[in-house]
Amino acid sequence: MAHPLREAAAISGIGETAYTRGTHKSALALQLEASLAAIADAGLSPRDIDGVVPYFPGGGIAEDFIANLGLPDLKLSLFVPMGGATCVAAIQSAAMAVATGVCNHVLIAVGRTGYSGARVSTRLQQFPQFALAAEFEAPIGMFAPAQLYAQGARRHMELYGTTARHMAEIAVVTRQHAILNGNVVMNKPLTVEEHHASRMISDPFRLFDCSLESDGGAAIIISRAKEARDLKKPLVTIMGVAEGHPESPASIAQRPDLLEFGLVKSAPRAYEMAGVGPKDIDVAEIYDCFTFTVIRQLEILGFCKTGEGGPFIMDGRIGLGGDLPINTHGGLLSQGHVVGLNHAIELTRQLRGEAGKAQVKDAEVGLVTGYGDMGDGSIAILRRAA
Amino acid sequence: MSTAPVSQPVPERPLPTPTRESQPHWDGMREGRFMLQHCSGCGKVRHYPRPVCPHCFSQESEFKEAGTGGMIHTWTVCHHPFNFFFKAEAPYIVALVDMDAGVRVNAPLRGVKEADVKIGQRVKLGFEPVNKEVTLPFFVAE
Repeated sequence: MAHPLREAAAISGIGETAYTRGTHKSALALQLEASLAAIADAGLSPRDIDGVVPYFPGGGIAEDFIANLGLPDLKLSLFVPMGGATCVAAIQSAAMAVATGVCNHVLIAVGRTGYSGARVSTRLQQFPQFALAAEFEAPIGMFAPAQLYAQGARRHMELYGTTARHMAEIAVVTRQHAILNGNVVMNKPLTVEEHHASRMISDPFRLFDCSLESDGGAAIIISRAKEARDLKKPLVTIMGVAEGHPESPASIAQRPDLLEFGLVKSAPRAYEMAGVGPKDIDVAEIYDCFTFTVIRQLEILGFCKTGEGGPFIMDGRIGLGGDLPINTHGGLLSQGHVVGLNHAIELTRQLRGEAGKAQVKDAEVGLVTGYGDMGDGSIAILRRAA
Repeated sequence: MSTAPVSQPVPERPLPTPTRESQPHWDGMREGRFMLQHCSGCGKVRHYPRPVCPHCFSQESEFKEAGTGGMIHTWTVCHHPFNFFFKAEAPYIVALVDMDAGVRVNAPLRGVKEADVKIGQRVKLGFEPVNKEVTLPFFVAE
């Protein structure tokens, strides 16, 4: 029997602000601007929203949404504190809420002033999940994700021969896609040589291996599939969705295998719920806090074997027109950093046929991942409904 | 009106805030002893310190002194100082080490050139006092 959550819910609305470096707006104002755009995209009124999942920490809380949007009867308020895995994991929570009838329309919203407000090392101190890293690793000079995740990337290079050229390919192709989008921070071409010449941040990560610090907001609305069908936009259903937490979740250093992320657990569950496998995926939006993180997730997702991610992504395979186009909007590396909610928005656009110059022809089934908080991994598989 | 000269604050090293669970580990570091938490029920070692054994769920534990040898599991070279304190030290190598005692330790690797670092290389942990209360680990080649 099919999983009860399979195609029970849909992404009915999507909204984004401009992605910039510099804004006068607060994170909350950006979050609300994107929320209003998503509500309008769905053809709903703010009065229809009865569940909210604000990104935490940073931005607004449920009370802010009631006060600003005049929500008459909020029935569910959740935080899903999983760092970069938050947004896609929140799709699971929201889908459960609408499928069971607790809510009708759940809003997931991010607002971020990563450029004009607090930068990464300050922001992370707000995360309770970073307390162990703060106690044992910050004092010896390891605290930022670029440093903590670099050790896993280095190990992959030493064990399997993954190279800087492979990582550059992710950066370069992602930039090509960003240029087609229009609403991006990085809109000039990037070459492999420019990638290799960019300054080292934490070996093996150079500047262009790292995602952006940018300002912006993003929001989506999750509704029951049978009602979303009658809303304004083409129906995009959630076939499968899952979150996963790795062993030693708050310390990468103590994890038996540094390269076993939460996605190792969540991906098989999502495929099973969806009733599809890697071969059925037409387009993939992969959480790209770092270039290497994309390579490893493609392995975990079953597109290639462990250790083969580097060669797999070469020779045009992940570009438009390739076997597996990825990050068709420019991702966190080149579009903007709204904790990956832009990846879910782009996948929805692709499946609606609204992706403009970056449209993957006949895209019918796609997947989106979230990754963060020392290795939590979330995944959603979406489908353009007939 | 005179303007007082503006002095730049000296950046401070981030320091650990020991918890009730981890205090014996940091006390040991201060004494030059690498103290690790062992479950009193099943005897398994665990790091970083925490209240319950995830293997047998015993809430009783004791700290024992462990050996300081280990092998490099992986490493990074930190160039960008995310905390300004480390600006003067960058670039510096941080090695993640599989300790012979069965846990991992992340600490700066000193006296080894970047090009010579290898997975499996033998290192030993040293103790560097940074103030009266806190001593931090570092590694050198064994």
